[in-house]
Amino acid sequence: MKWLLKIVEAVRPTFEEGGKLRTFKPIFEALEHFLFSPSTRTLGAPHVRDPMDLKRFMSMAIISVVPCAFAALYFFGWRFLAMVVVSYAAGLTVEAAFAIVRKEGINEGFFVTGILFPLIMPPNLPLWMVGLGVAFGVLIGKELFGGTGRNVFNPALVGRCFLALAYPKAMSQSYIEPSGDLLGCLLFKWLPSGSGVDAVTVATPLSAAKGGVMASTSHMLLGSISGSAGETSAILIILGGVFLLFTRVANWRTVVSILGSFIILTAALIASGATKVGIDGLCGPVVWHLFAGGLLFGAFFMATDPVTSPTTNPGKWIYGMIIGTVTVLIRNFTGYVEGVTFAILLGNIIAPILDEAIIEVRIRRLRSEG
Amino acid sequence: MRLIGGYNIPLEGKPEHGISVMPESDVLYLPLRSRRFTFDELSVKEGQRVNGGDILAKDTDNYGVPLLAPRAGRVRLKARDGHIVLEEVALLEERADMAEEKMEHIEQEMGAAGINRYKLLTLGAWQFFYDAYSGRLPDPLGTPQAIIVSTVSLEPFVVRGDVQLHKRLLNFTRGLEQLQSLLEYQPIYLVMPDIKSNLANLVRDQIRGYAWVKMLEIPLTYPYDDFGILARRLGLKRNKGPVWAVRTEGVLAADRALTMTKPCTVRIISIGGTGVQGPTHIKAVPGYPLEAIRYKYVLEPAARLINGGALTGEAVRDDTLGLDAECRGLTVIPELQEREFLGFARPGWDRSCYVPCYLSSLRKPFRERFTSGLRGEARPCVSCGYCDEVCPAGIMPSLIHKYLYRDLTEEADQARVDLCVECGLCSYVCPSKIDLRKQLIDAKDLIAKEKEEMRQEQLRQEEARKQEEARRQSEEKSE
Repeated sequence: MKWLLKIVEAVRPTFEEGGKLRTFKPIFEALEHFLFSPSTRTLGAPHVRDPMDLKRFMSMAIISVVPCAFAALYFFGWRFLAMVVVSYAAGLTVEAAFAIVRKEGINEGFFVTGILFPLIMPPNLPLWMVGLGVAFGVLIGKELFGGTGRNVFNPALVGRCFLALAYPKAMSQSYIEPSGDLLGCLLFKWLPSGSGVDAVTVATPLSAAKGGVMASTSHMLLGSISGSAGETSAILIILGGVFLLFTRVANWRTVVSILGSFIILTAALIASGATKVGIDGLCGPVVWHLFAGGLLFGAFFMATDPVTSPTTNPGKWIYGMIIGTVTVLIRNFTGYVEGVTFAILLGNIIAPILDEAIIEVRIRRLRSEG
Repeated sequence: MRLIGGYNIPLEGKPEHGISVMPESDVLYLPLRSRRFTFDELSVKEGQRVNGGDILAKDTDNYGVPLLAPRAGRVRLKARDGHIVLEEVALLEERADMAEEKMEHIEQEMGAAGINRYKLLTLGAWQFFYDAYSGRLPDPLGTPQAIIVSTVSLEPFVVRGDVQLHKRLLNFTRGLEQLQSLLEYQPIYLVMPDIKSNLANLVRDQIRGYAWVKMLEIPLTYPYDDFGILARRLGLKRNKGPVWAVRTEGVLAADRALTMTKPCTVRIISIGGTGVQGPTHIKAVPGYPLEAIRYKYVLEPAARLINGGALTGEAVRDDTLGLDAECRGLTVIPELQEREFLGFARPGWDRSCYVPCYLSSLRKPFRERFTSGLRGEARPCVSCGYCDEVCPAGIMPSLIHKYLYRDLTEEADQARVDLCVECGLCSYVCPSKIDLRKQLIDAKDLIAKEKEEMRQEQLRQEEARKQEEARRQSEEKSE
């Protein structure tokens, strides 16, 4: 790849100070560093560094949602790919614009947002809404707070929340029936029904359950149900999620406490008869609720975002419990059928306060040290 | 305090157990600066002939700790900047003993205990002592609340205790006894990797009956051998007086100085790291030409020579010509030369990472060929929490970084940045490539300076108040 490096070196002066295209230096740098690892050396101690960098860090998050992305492609057609492309294009434009204005590098964090966002969108949502949502999420949810590392809210969820409030009808009517074929939509089908524009709107399992129609748990495990593009297949989410936990990019404490508190509270509600599910027994309904909606996806991929979750371990436990509990409360006792988005955003608000409190305790303990 | 955090970085080039003796050199270049010391007061004249063990210069800021002539030779002061050059070096008889009269004089002045401390200082053994909390040279006339003796060296790579102890166990135990003679009732903590090992049993046998030596076992994880960490682990409080800390070489030097009244000149140091051909231990004197060591062990054309380990050592500057008096090991890291195509997306079978994000995590632990590359772009902190997890001091580097980013020095002080032991692991693991170690050290220094200034200011005010009072009193009297 020496020839490519030569080309990069040859065009570099154009983007340097005094070059014609110096405004676009962040874009050039992003591309250069994507292709070639940087030539920077350590200046002092420590003289060696761990191979892990932010690119790898974010790549792990992207790899872990690849199974879900394939599931989306399989169940909801190649239109999903168009959603991904639109999401990246719109989000990157905002990101690049801010990088140019700030004269900073383009951060890798966006590449995760760019793939997560279409995965939590209804599969038949108009593409312009996808673009608008992600642009809003990146702009308001991240850049206005100072960019990667300083945002309070998960940008993808801010985008989703915005769309859900601004276009509730379009959002709720864009859920479609997944493909029932053996090959799914893999043979280049734009949408599962094949007819394109007039795909039939169907209810997600959670909204259908309000009407007394229960989706089967096994379908929810595999993913052949209606729902947001990437959230339907429980098994693939767990697969990718466990991989992400293994790499330690996501913290297991958050996931365990969200799912744990959710399971315990749901079981308690079902056992006490406070909520009614159209399945008998205790275990069955709990698993059904666990697989339904965006809970698993949110717990593994959204709530674990290190920037917007607490940094301290006790904080992560409490944060997870808040998210799990709030999800149960919204699902069972409010007009909304799904509550994970709001629960995680609420968790994001509380995260800094949790950190503050725990750091306070830790500092008090440290102060007593000689 | 429990031992927390820590991580052994898998650097290739671990020095072997053996010791190879470097051939004598005709010329020695003794640097006037080392990590803790600046030898600012010269004791010799240009062209003067000196014997091995003679004092060449002293560091007046550090209790007059001396720079000793490791060999006999002729002094050249201005031949090289920042060095005392010793020419016509010969291995003549070392200065046999201190002059009797001088000894008597000192004994009269300082007492029997004082004479031992005087010997330690002038015979070059005192420079191996550390204050456990600050890492500085302790006051030789002070009384410590305890002495920590560590045989463990975990940083890659500095000289290992077991190599130094080889065939010198008797000297070591005798040295421990000598250390005890400096104390009244205070304990000596002997830190070992395995207190049930043969070595530990041998030591225990030889010092049997000496209840004052307490053995402490620590896991072999960097940086649990750090004296600050050990002092905290042992529950030694800062406000109860200084804690002296000394490593194997210091005990051996104390033995040599106090038992035989001979100067400590020859040193065993390690030479290791990715860029070294046949990493091992070498025996050499301070001032030994680095060029000769480089010629023998370093084959890489572009390599960084580090005085100390890869995590806390300092790169040897081009104008430094000889080993300094404090050097414990040389680490050689090749400079980064090539840029990898799609480096971040590679499977990474040959990359040993703190978190299992590369394919190599399916492999058995192995040592990686590190270069001096930063291996990523500088980015804002994403609160991944790796630094908090790896920090052995139990402080939160990411939090302190955020405070410092907003210039909140006060808060950084509250978060106990002063407990940082400067091990460098936070910088090492940071995926955003933030140089946390440097930021924390700078903050520490700044806070210490501010506190010192405040103290001075208070003293000044106190002084002014007293003077004012005295003036008033004298005025009243005169009236």
